[in-house]
Amino acid sequence: MKIEDVVCPFCGCLCDDLVVEVEGDKIVSVENGCTLANEKFLGNNRLKTPIIREGSNWTHIDIEEAIKTTAEILLDADRPLLYGWSGTHGEAQTIGVHMAEMLGAVIDNTSTVCHGPSIMAIQEVGHPGCTLGQVKNRADVIVYWGSNPIEAHPRHMSRYTTYADGFFLKEAFRERKVIVVDIRKTETANIADEFVMVEPGADYALLSALRAIVRGKGDILPHNIAGVEKEQLVRVADICKSARFGAIFFGLGLTMSRGKYKNIRNAIELTEELNRHTKFTISPMRGHWNVYGSNEVFTWISGYPFAVDFARGIAFYNPGETTSVDILRRGECDACLVVASDPGAHFPKDCCRHLASIPTIQIDPHVNATTHLSHLQIPVAVTGIDSEGTAYRMDGVPIRTRKVIETTYPSDSEVLEKIYQIIRREMGP
Amino acid sequence: MRVILETKPRKKSKIPIEAESIIPQNFLRGTDLCVFEGNKQRPLDEIFFITVEGPAVSPDQVEVILKGDTGRIKRVGEYMNAGKIVVEGDIGMHCGNFMSAGKITIKGNADAWLGREMRGGEIICHGNAGHYCGAGYRGEKRGMRGGRLEVLGNAGDFVAEYLCGGEVIVRGDTGDLPGVEMRGGKLIIEGRCIRPCGNMTGGTCMVFGQVQDPLPTFEKKGKTQVDFRGMKVTMDSYRGDVANRGKGSLLMKEQEILPE
Amino acid sequence: MSELLIKNAFVIDPINGINGEVMDIAIRDGRIVEDVGSGADIIDADRCLTLPGGIDSHTHVCGTKVNFGRYMSPEDMRAGRTSRKGSMHVTSGYSVPTTFGNSYRYSTMGYTTLLEGAMAPLEARHTHEEFTATPHQDMMANTLFDGNWSVMEAVRDKDVKRAAAVVSWIISAAKGFGIKLTNPGGTEAWGWGEDVSSIYDAVPYFEVTPAEIIETMIRANEMLGLPHSVHLHCNNLGVPGNYRTTLDTMDLVPDLNSKRQSLYLTHVQFHSYGGSTWRDIDSRSEEITRMVNSSPHIVMDMGQIMFGRTTTMTADGPMEFKLYMLHHNKWSNHDVELETGSGIIPVYYSRKSLVNCVMWAIGLELALQTKSPWQCLLTTDNPNGAPFVKYPEIIALLMSKRFRDQECALLDSRTEKLVPLMALDRELDWNEIAVMTRAGQSRALGIEALGKGHLAPGAEADVAIYPIRTSEIDPSAQYQQVMAGFSRSMYTIKRGRVVARNGDVVVEGANSTIWVKPRLSPEYDLGNDPEFARKFQQYYTVRMSNYPVQDSYLPRGVCIETEADL
Repeated sequence: MKIEDVVCPFCGCLCDDLVVEVEGDKIVSVENGCTLANEKFLGNNRLKTPIIREGSNWTHIDIEEAIKTTAEILLDADRPLLYGWSGTHGEAQTIGVHMAEMLGAVIDNTSTVCHGPSIMAIQEVGHPGCTLGQVKNRADVIVYWGSNPIEAHPRHMSRYTTYADGFFLKEAFRERKVIVVDIRKTETANIADEFVMVEPGADYALLSALRAIVRGKGDILPHNIAGVEKEQLVRVADICKSARFGAIFFGLGLTMSRGKYKNIRNAIELTEELNRHTKFTISPMRGHWNVYGSNEVFTWISGYPFAVDFARGIAFYNPGETTSVDILRRGECDACLVVASDPGAHFPKDCCRHLASIPTIQIDPHVNATTHLSHLQIPVAVTGIDSEGTAYRMDGVPIRTRKVIETTYPSDSEVLEKIYQIIRREMGP
Repeated sequence: MRVILETKPRKKSKIPIEAESIIPQNFLRGTDLCVFEGNKQRPLDEIFFITVEGPAVSPDQVEVILKGDTGRIKRVGEYMNAGKIVVEGDIGMHCGNFMSAGKITIKGNADAWLGREMRGGEIICHGNAGHYCGAGYRGEKRGMRGGRLEVLGNAGDFVAEYLCGGEVIVRGDTGDLPGVEMRGGKLIIEGRCIRPCGNMTGGTCMVFGQVQDPLPTFEKKGKTQVDFRGMKVTMDSYRGDVANRGKGSLLMKEQEILPE
Repeated sequence: MSELLIKNAFVIDPINGINGEVMDIAIRDGRIVEDVGSGADIIDADRCLTLPGGIDSHTHVCGTKVNFGRYMSPEDMRAGRTSRKGSMHVTSGYSVPTTFGNSYRYSTMGYTTLLEGAMAPLEARHTHEEFTATPHQDMMANTLFDGNWSVMEAVRDKDVKRAAAVVSWIISAAKGFGIKLTNPGGTEAWGWGEDVSSIYDAVPYFEVTPAEIIETMIRANEMLGLPHSVHLHCNNLGVPGNYRTTLDTMDLVPDLNSKRQSLYLTHVQFHSYGGSTWRDIDSRSEEITRMVNSSPHIVMDMGQIMFGRTTTMTADGPMEFKLYMLHHNKWSNHDVELETGSGIIPVYYSRKSLVNCVMWAIGLELALQTKSPWQCLLTTDNPNGAPFVKYPEIIALLMSKRFRDQECALLDSRTEKLVPLMALDRELDWNEIAVMTRAGQSRALGIEALGKGHLAPGAEADVAIYPIRTSEIDPSAQYQQVMAGFSRSMYTIKRGRVVARNGDVVVEGANSTIWVKPRLSPEYDLGNDPEFARKFQQYYTVRMSNYPVQDSYLPRGVCIETEADL
């Protein structure tokens, strides 16, 4: 049986035009997806039952027992951390936030190691953006800064930017100019009309220089800025100013290099400056398919998009203090629940060492790097495959993921709801 | 009145303590205060040995002394408006936030956000300070607006971010982007720093040490002489940040720019 | 079966002509009934002012741009934080509170039904998720059509029926409630960084004018039999001299509905400016109200500003950019493909600004100069003019000349020459306030039939009891008590359950979302229309089958099916 318009739960592109062929409780083929989608849908090494450590071995444990143990560990802790959330549906994220406010825990999502700096910059200067369809239909200048979509968001350019024909651009590929800024010639840089090779860690200076040029103050600049010839920068500024509609996309090349959120802020202020001349937007290339969803859910409940600390009853937000990497590195938390993410694979060694030293519970369908740091793992259904729920695309558009096969795994929501109810009962009104 | 607080050993010593109740004026009412250890409320005497010497009728007669393992005690001196606090060792994050008067002396190192959004008063840190020393709060346009903050050692990144009034002095080196977004007030860095005053719109920053990677969007205005510890020093004077319509003043000791 | 009896209620129920009578209100299973048994729970209202639950006909509390406003403003979030308490969740925020924050604060003020000011259909799911998290008010969504490509094409082709068919498909898919037009035509122009400057300005490429869009949509609205009229945020918001645009717009409106207005103009304060620049801006509230007074088929709401800090957020992208150029505050923008736009920027309304003083006066003038309170409803375009928690203060200002004089004395002294406010002596009475905060909204939104906004048997048991005894207060002199009284109800009852008591919310909520679904003949069902489907295949970035809001998002949806004349 073929199921159409399936939503891919992998990257922030949240493509919703996949065709998945299903036989019984197995997926046999995927059409329209990229290699990442194929891996996600066709992959098959799920953890079969909940497992718990006993000494240096793993043993199986009944799910109700696992849920009870999780609740007990979290209730017992003085500073529990609930981390992850980006790989599950919004309904589960909602339960997570309510759990955190009940427990007086810290709740954080993968923005903390990804586009957290983008959010921090937006909190300083705002976000002049748009939905992806605006770019597809109107943009004649595309800028990728510190982002390599060919490898990380494979269908971004064909669905939304460079190669996507739109209402006002019928031969998009011919009518568009692509500018790529990166520290090395990536696959994406290879197809650029203008490739700007910036020195590592020097994007801030480059962005400041561009802003000055757009403002008409380029004469005060030296001939070479951050490894880039001023001549090329002036050319790039001209392309941008004479665009009908320019769209900047940026990734971890800016968020995770020297200056972090100040780089993003500078890029946003450049966009705002360009808006005095023509239409320009800027958008972060969100990684996980539902990390934006976790930002949205955290915000409408607590007021803050990530790194929320409920220890004092009210919501408190301070990246650098309430962010997971900092809390783990300082050895501050005494229990951790990891949901739908893999900190073991992404966090610094000191953080992983601490995770291994405290009771860490993971709710995840697969054995991954975090499993080796955990005390207990509960496998669940994969959202978008055997469970469904809301996801938010990288531009904020909400799409409901589908359930294409039926399995016996509970969903994240079901497991979290049970844990939450035990916590509510124990803690009273 | 002298109030001496000496830390007791704690089982989970890495969990931070939030102690915004530790300000001189609160001790006029006694020592029946509480702090938070993670999500648990604790009475003050569970975390500290408390000794009180002498009377006081107003908060400016109160001196609070913190001893022991104080490096993870946060928010000491928050909203302080009189009196003195002395920390014998290190102090945790957010020391002296929103302070409007009084004096805080830290003999060891201070963690991040020392003197955040300070309005007045004086903070002196003998050791090193962490990131965001003398900075503002996310989303607000104005940060520290008054008072004097002095660090005798080094400071981290984003010193005096959003500075709009008052004075911040770092005798040692700072990290990246000191004075970023500043719009008023005075920032003095006697040691080295990296990329000072990004996006500055106002105020004055003086750097006497080596500057690494100065930003290209500052307009050279000439040279000027300033007084530095009794000597006359020649500074290169810049205006900027031109990327931002900035009219701030950035003075860097001449010829102390590291070659590319 | 649950029964509740409110005894000794001093009732003002304008829809039923009750103007201050002491009576009992019997409630069974969420509805008002003639009487209940002796086993009923009893609340003694002790002759306190009892009104139908408050209805806000234009507030921005849920959805993409509201949440944008939240997460970009941590400094606003930290300004109003509360902990979990009993049934109440954590809340944060001052001008853009979290959803629970909004719900609890509205409930404390006695409000039980809200119309979300703007929802882009593509992002409707987000609005509905936040509706469920605003649990103590029934919610409705104004659905944006101002820049909708399919609509503009129908307008260009002068095909009202097709426009109606487009609206029908989209509003049903998005589970919206009414047609919202924000700067019609302007939001599409903003897709290119442009705007429209009059209602006769052609929209780039589509070659239709705002006037044509408005006229077509008014007709389409009536053709579909929708409960509410077209809800319009006029072109040229905030521009000096824009009162002419507003008058021109009102001139376009035919009288097509005997039960309610044919056009609802929102936050008209922002559209009542004379002069030609910021330097000579003045109040034209007189011209505007003169027109409204002679146009019973038009209803407006105030859009009052109050001094202090707040956040502006509207679908009017170009207007928000203009504010950015003026004040250089942090600015967000979010254009929605094929549909509309939005912008967000924090503002500070100051008494030191002559322009802000004029704006403050105009909102009050609109209310005081409109003869019938049914035609001028109380709002602040929350949070654009001010956070909704300021409504009680506005009520007090409208009821007391003395309070107004006191506030006027604090304004820039030049204000007096530019506005008529100081010469207006009128003081609204309790009945007029009740109309402007619930009865009028119910009628304007067309939800009387659902049982909203009144207290006769059959109505929904949404009741607010305020600690005010009208015989013991002179609102003209004791305006502080008026303010305090409306700020915190003694009881807020929703569907027969006490949800708020003296400022505390005491139960978990279980609200409903009210939406519309026109019934039309199959030939107008665009689900099978190849031209319409092409939009999804080629221009949208979401597939047509993934576009509609699934039923699971409305756990207790109330669907109003209308008979379309199509």
